[in-house]
Amino acid sequence: MSLTAERLDRIQPSLTIAISTVARRMIAEGKNVISLSQGEPDFDTPRNIKDAAIRAIEGGETKYTDVAGTQAVRKAVAEKFKRESGIDYKPEEIIVSTGAKQVLFNAMVATLNAGDEVIIPSPCWVSYPDIVTLADGKPVLVPCSQNNGFKLRPEDLEAAITPKTRWFMLNNPCNPTGAAYDAAELKALTDVLLRHPHVWVLTDDIYDKLAYDGFKPATIAAVEPKLKDRTLTVHGVSKSYAMTGWRIGFAGGPVPLIKAMDKLQSQSTSNPNSVAQAATVEALTGPQESIEAMRKVFEERRDLVVEALNKAPGMHCTKPEGAFYVYPSVQGCLGKTSKGGKKIETDEDFALTLLAEEGVATVHGAAFCYPGYIRISYANATDELREAMTRIQRFCQGLH
Amino acid sequence: MPALAQRLNRIEVAPSVAMTIKARELRAAGKPVITLTTGEPNFASPPNAIEAAHQAALAGDTKYPPQDGTRALKEAIQAKFKRDSGLDYALDEISVSNGGKQCLFNALMATVDAGDEVVIPVPSWSAYAQMAKIAEGEPVLVPCPQNNGFKPRPEDIDAAITPKTKWLILNNPNNPTGACCSAEELAAIAAVMRKHPHVWILSDDMYEHLVFDGFRHATIAQVAPDLKDRTLTVSGVSKTYAMTGWRIGFAAGPKALIKAMVNMQGQATAGVSTVGQAAATAALNGPQDGVQVQIDAYKRRRDMAVEMLNACPGIACHKPEGAFYVFPNVAGCLGKTTAGGRKLDSDRDVCLALLEEQYVATVHGAAYYMSPYLRISTATADAELEEGLRRIQTFCEGLH
Repeated sequence: MSLTAERLDRIQPSLTIAISTVARRMIAEGKNVISLSQGEPDFDTPRNIKDAAIRAIEGGETKYTDVAGTQAVRKAVAEKFKRESGIDYKPEEIIVSTGAKQVLFNAMVATLNAGDEVIIPSPCWVSYPDIVTLADGKPVLVPCSQNNGFKLRPEDLEAAITPKTRWFMLNNPCNPTGAAYDAAELKALTDVLLRHPHVWVLTDDIYDKLAYDGFKPATIAAVEPKLKDRTLTVHGVSKSYAMTGWRIGFAGGPVPLIKAMDKLQSQSTSNPNSVAQAATVEALTGPQESIEAMRKVFEERRDLVVEALNKAPGMHCTKPEGAFYVYPSVQGCLGKTSKGGKKIETDEDFALTLLAEEGVATVHGAAFCYPGYIRISYANATDELREAMTRIQRFCQGLH
Repeated sequence: MPALAQRLNRIEVAPSVAMTIKARELRAAGKPVITLTTGEPNFASPPNAIEAAHQAALAGDTKYPPQDGTRALKEAIQAKFKRDSGLDYALDEISVSNGGKQCLFNALMATVDAGDEVVIPVPSWSAYAQMAKIAEGEPVLVPCPQNNGFKPRPEDIDAAITPKTKWLILNNPNNPTGACCSAEELAAIAAVMRKHPHVWILSDDMYEHLVFDGFRHATIAQVAPDLKDRTLTVSGVSKTYAMTGWRIGFAAGPKALIKAMVNMQGQATAGVSTVGQAAATAALNGPQDGVQVQIDAYKRRRDMAVEMLNACPGIACHKPEGAFYVFPNVAGCLGKTTAGGRKLDSDRDVCLALLEEQYVATVHGAAYYMSPYLRISTATADAELEEGLRRIQTFCEGLH
């Protein structure tokens, strides 16, 4: 019998391995590679949060906690949802997990049966369809075109819903496009969802602190309270507080769903790291100035990157509302040949050749289920970004 | 609420939860409850581990870690397997997870298809069977009677294996009995496994360092090197270094299996908290004398518990080789009535009556798939343990 289970065999091997392998090799050879491929802030975790972790360690907070998180962290999360989104969750409607990824995994594995459908607007973070597949479900990708700002249109959502649909998953702001929805845009989607009471809603708001030009990302349970009892609101500290390595995500939702997720988590990992939970309490309840400082820097970088990319021949970059990514089209570059003599047929060719010839690592759009584009992360020092943009412009100018 | 996934409906809520809730209620009502249910050491994490966590947090080691563990921790684990068990593993044969529990979860989810069988000697930690069910497998429980020291007999394992068997899970020393197979006993099991080349072996050695009276812990990959290429060896820092809350477990096995497990984890939680990994690295590489202090304490408490329990009318307690549990037989108490007038018909009755009349919390054997027994944890301060045992004596003396 084969070693691996069918559920694992269904997962596509990572599409980014070719690129990251080449990037690693070039770095090992001493080449100057600028990585615009990472999904984490380049900032350090704020000092008050680190200090809270150290106090927790000294205070002996090194034991098993409740599976769903300590009372303190669940209370802090409930207050966060109230304060920032106006949603009321009781502590028993909150679960804390090892990263927001585990929240998604718990929700899907706890609820999907074979053949159940999950609607995912694309471009999307590849883990969404992979997690659904792993849970025996069927991802239903709904394309969101660049000329609509990479946002889902209500009529496309309506058309994708079938009697087998179990979940609608929304990432707001979105990885990889940075597209974000305000209250009015969400209302148009929730009106559709109200007509389909069998469909549950998962909204992943992990990037919502990172929005620009005064844009306010909204969230579904706040926009349409009638959907709250079938909505799971997912968040975490990784992106807002530069705490990726601490591995803390959380969610608010109806008690039966939270309980089911708790039950699953109790059999897969138990409680998230106790020290990181204490750090999260400080992140959520302590001073919030560091977020605004990071946000401002990201906004400057976004502007810089969008402007520079739109000057690169063959590229076309939409200016997104949030997150720390842009998702330029490279369709104008396809069919051309690089200065180094490489024929560029696909977005992967583009990304690989850009890396080989100019030492800039990006991720191609196929990895986000939406080819013809590349994802550029601007979670990188501003000077490095400037240099990278110069190289991309040079690369595109060299295409013929 | 959408109906839950079938896989989740197959999981039972741990029977011990009811006892935990009852104990919490009694304590909240001001009763002097003594808890002998805990599965975690009552010691502090080692100072060098705590210091390493401080330094990691301060040094900005707070970014996404590699999904399979940091290189430093994997090297420490590699050295640990060599030092403790004479086992050679390459770094790509090692993975780090959120607790030993996630290592097991990854392994089963990555390999078990619907209907695959997982052979589990019982009494056992209930998580093994529950995880097998989440992975849509069938747990096949093999009773290990007290008159064989709660150890699996090779012929019983042989009889339990079918063409559908995917895994045999060994837990050595065992939770809840403390039983630990010697190298010779493992060799006899290995001889059976040679006849069944389609069956993989998972050895959960989480309690490996907690053995007494000069007993030498062995593990099957070491005893039977020819089985190493289908054996997964799991351990962690929780029990050895009193680091339960840090959530760090690890596994070593053939590269293809480790890769599949890392893929699985990549979709469930991604990498493990960086601060916890730094602490675990220090614990494994640093001075080991703190471990001996704990072993001495657990041995002292085991001796006291076994002696005092065997002095209780109706109780027969086997003296185990390791771990921090004893698993006394309460068959002699059944059919009797307590001082408070409660009729005892099952180990659950004994457990509840003991809690309600003497305020001593234990877990009944049914929670570990073998009745009529109680599990008593010796991870409790000496004086408290002694008082708890004295109350059990009073309880038993009052039976009529």
